[in-house]
Amino acid sequence: MGAEQAWLLAAVPAGMFVVLALFGRLLPRKGDFLGVLAIGTAFVLFFFVLHDFLHVGESNWPVVRDIKWSDIGSFHLRMGIVVDQITIVMFAVITTVALMVNVFSIGYMKGEPRYWWFFAVLQLFAASMLMLVMADNLLLLYISWELVGVCSFLLIGFYWEKRSATEAAKKAFITTRVGDVGLLIGIILLYKATGTFNIREIIDHAKSGDIGSTYLFVSMCFVFLGAMGKSAQVPFHVWLPDAMEGPTPVSALIHAATMVVAGVYLTARMLPVFEVAHGTTLIITIVGLVTALLTGFMALAQTDIKKVLAYSTVGQLGFMFVALGCGRPDAAMFHLMTHAFFKALLFLGSGSVILGTHHNQEMGKLGGLWKKMPVTGTTFLVGSLALAGVVPLAGFWSKDEILAATQTWSGGWVTILLGFAAIMTAFYSTRLFIRTFLGKPLDQQVYDHTHESPAVMTLPLVFLAILAAVAGLVVFNGVGRALGFPGGITEFVFLEEPERYHIVWSLAGGSVVLAVVGIFFGAWMYWGGSLVRSTRAAEFQPRLYEMIQRKFYFDELYQGMIDRVVLGFSFVVSWFDRYVVNDTGVDGSAQMTGYSGFLLKHLQTGKVPNYAMGIALGVVALAAAGLVVRG
Amino acid sequence: MVPLDNYLVLSAIIFSIGVYGVLARRSAVLILMSVELMLNAVSLNFVAFAAYLDPNRVAGAIFAIFVITVAAAEVGLALAIVIRLFRNRATANVDEAASLKW
Amino acid sequence: MTTEVLWWFFAVLIVGASLGVVAARSVIHSAIFLIGSLAGVGAMYVFLTVDFLALVQFLIYGGAVTVLILLALMLTRADVTGLPEKVNGPQAPFAVLVGAGLMAILIGVAVGTTWPGNVGDKALNIPIELISQKLFLDYGPPFVIASVLLLVALVGAIILARQEEGE
Repeated sequence: MGAEQAWLLAAVPAGMFVVLALFGRLLPRKGDFLGVLAIGTAFVLFFFVLHDFLHVGESNWPVVRDIKWSDIGSFHLRMGIVVDQITIVMFAVITTVALMVNVFSIGYMKGEPRYWWFFAVLQLFAASMLMLVMADNLLLLYISWELVGVCSFLLIGFYWEKRSATEAAKKAFITTRVGDVGLLIGIILLYKATGTFNIREIIDHAKSGDIGSTYLFVSMCFVFLGAMGKSAQVPFHVWLPDAMEGPTPVSALIHAATMVVAGVYLTARMLPVFEVAHGTTLIITIVGLVTALLTGFMALAQTDIKKVLAYSTVGQLGFMFVALGCGRPDAAMFHLMTHAFFKALLFLGSGSVILGTHHNQEMGKLGGLWKKMPVTGTTFLVGSLALAGVVPLAGFWSKDEILAATQTWSGGWVTILLGFAAIMTAFYSTRLFIRTFLGKPLDQQVYDHTHESPAVMTLPLVFLAILAAVAGLVVFNGVGRALGFPGGITEFVFLEEPERYHIVWSLAGGSVVLAVVGIFFGAWMYWGGSLVRSTRAAEFQPRLYEMIQRKFYFDELYQGMIDRVVLGFSFVVSWFDRYVVNDTGVDGSAQMTGYSGFLLKHLQTGKVPNYAMGIALGVVALAAAGLVVRG
Repeated sequence: MVPLDNYLVLSAIIFSIGVYGVLARRSAVLILMSVELMLNAVSLNFVAFAAYLDPNRVAGAIFAIFVITVAAAEVGLALAIVIRLFRNRATANVDEAASLKW
Repeated sequence: MTTEVLWWFFAVLIVGASLGVVAARSVIHSAIFLIGSLAGVGAMYVFLTVDFLALVQFLIYGGAVTVLILLALMLTRADVTGLPEKVNGPQAPFAVLVGAGLMAILIGVAVGTTWPGNVGDKALNIPIELISQKLFLDYGPPFVIASVLLLVALVGAIILARQEEGE
């Protein structure tokens, strides 16, 4: 079992999906242990792949294996997998988080209807996501891309008895669809220019200047549209907060750690091409920056704990895109990894809170839960501090790397704005923690019935908390080498040249200051459980507060656009279909035939002389025509 | 004696007169007579060609014999039909036998 | 020289008689004119040295066909009183045009084409032995079929025209 058999990582969960979908209802315990078994197998296989990968050495990277898929005329398609450094990082993230989520779901989803279907779709999702990060050509990537979208749709709408859930699923699918169309157009444009779907060949073509620069710019913008849609960047961010309608393990797996990072993965994979297409990296950076800032604001005013985490996810994805725009895929992938761990931890932790308080997610009803849920509280604290970027937890190192990356933009404006976003991150994560776990309980009823979650749920929390604490240390070259890698993560994942990691003390110090400032401000605002200061702040500028609370009116804008533009256009199209195509074309041609028959029947007079005249005329006409033609 | 063209023009004239007769007259028997005129014109044409252009094969004359034969048979049958028609409708005018109209 | 004059005489006769056929008021008159026309064509056959055919023409057309037509006329007379009813059908004017056009085309083609072979001179002599030889040897099958055809026509005419019971 080597790196070339990495496709097994996707095949095992895919096979288990089929088993669970067909037989899940009939199995003992509805097959949840089979789900854990499948993902666990993938997790174990990952280590084999990793070992083999490191074993074959850098000169043999990336490890590629493909098969001939289709050969029609001049169209040749090979499909296969490629395992390189980015793939390894993604494998680590996906298998770990998916395993934790599967175990957690055994406890969380207990007693829910369609329990077996939940695990089945989790398997399908894991398989598609793993395939996505292994795909060596854009076609296979697009297929997996769509598949993960479908799984997201199925899982967001899991509680389809609730109207809000089905609406949210539709919204998610349609919003990402707009991006996906852009991605498809980009793929087709690239295919037309290079004649291949294979990613490495496209990168080579782009680097050797085969593609015209405007053409390349346009196609890469389309590709980035797809990434924006899937990763919920502004203006496509509207679907992710609504996606919280799905069960919390789904939020943890799909909408925090794996699917939403597909856009980051795609951009990182295609980054060499983005670098060649001038201007795209600036666009990527600006999109990421705007997203990080706007969603940071939006998170400040949310009271549903899952929604705060959703906006936080979108913001952190913005951070990753900023890193990519600065040409540092290592920083982006590093943050992707640490964020996956602590965000999944936070989501699962909130799932634990939800279950423990009997389905309460509003901060207005929580408070002081630490005493009743110590394990959840402690792990949640670790996650919040990691999110805020406190040294030496994982989030600090990755956020610091990103801030270091932004130094490439002259004038430092990117660094300053991103730093402000980092302060907001620390602020709202502190706010979330304090209002949920500290202070006085706001609803005594809820508080009395709260209990800690069972071990099947708390053990994944602990495991993820450990990862959130130490995962950041892989940035050090020594740690990396000790683990078998050629160096720290900056040496492992790189764009042009591996870069040895060295601490820039001024920047590191600055990051610490940012985190501390944010936490301090949050603590000052919310300590003690009294909302006096926060309500005063809200009333300070009521219009501004409302704008933030209404999420900058994006949803209203989109609804208005749909109502006016889309429905208006569809009215025109339906008019055309009814009156031109149907009445004139279909009915009209039938009526024309009937009418011409009605007119022509008068030729049948029944009188023989008329028919004889017809014959005679025909003969004369033919003879005359013959004469004219022959001269 | 007379060039070939004379015969051809003569038969053309007779043929056209026959066509006029078929189209313009009302009596069924008269239409049949006009058809006989046309057939005659055709036979004349054939024999003229045979005599002037076809030294040994006399195909035209043979053809004329057959035309006469078939014309006789046809006239017999056609008149039988006309008699039938007359019995059904008491008229031999073709204008009034128009029940197969739309 | 005389033959030419004679030819022209018969040509005018034929054309006149044909016009009589289609223009006569009474149908009986048309039948008489038809006899004249057919006889004229028979004379033409003599000029073309196929005497046998002239004989056949007189016998069959003048003898059988005309008698048949007169018989049919007799049987289908609707108005014995002889009140003049309209002779021409409604499409007569147009028929004139069609006829004239057809004539123009045919004459134009006939006169305008150069026919291969011996054209200007007199007709060649066609011996009857040649006709009989060809008719019974080379064109034997059509001859037999034609006789079958006559039989069929005979039977068919009888069936068509017979009187059913109660008529």
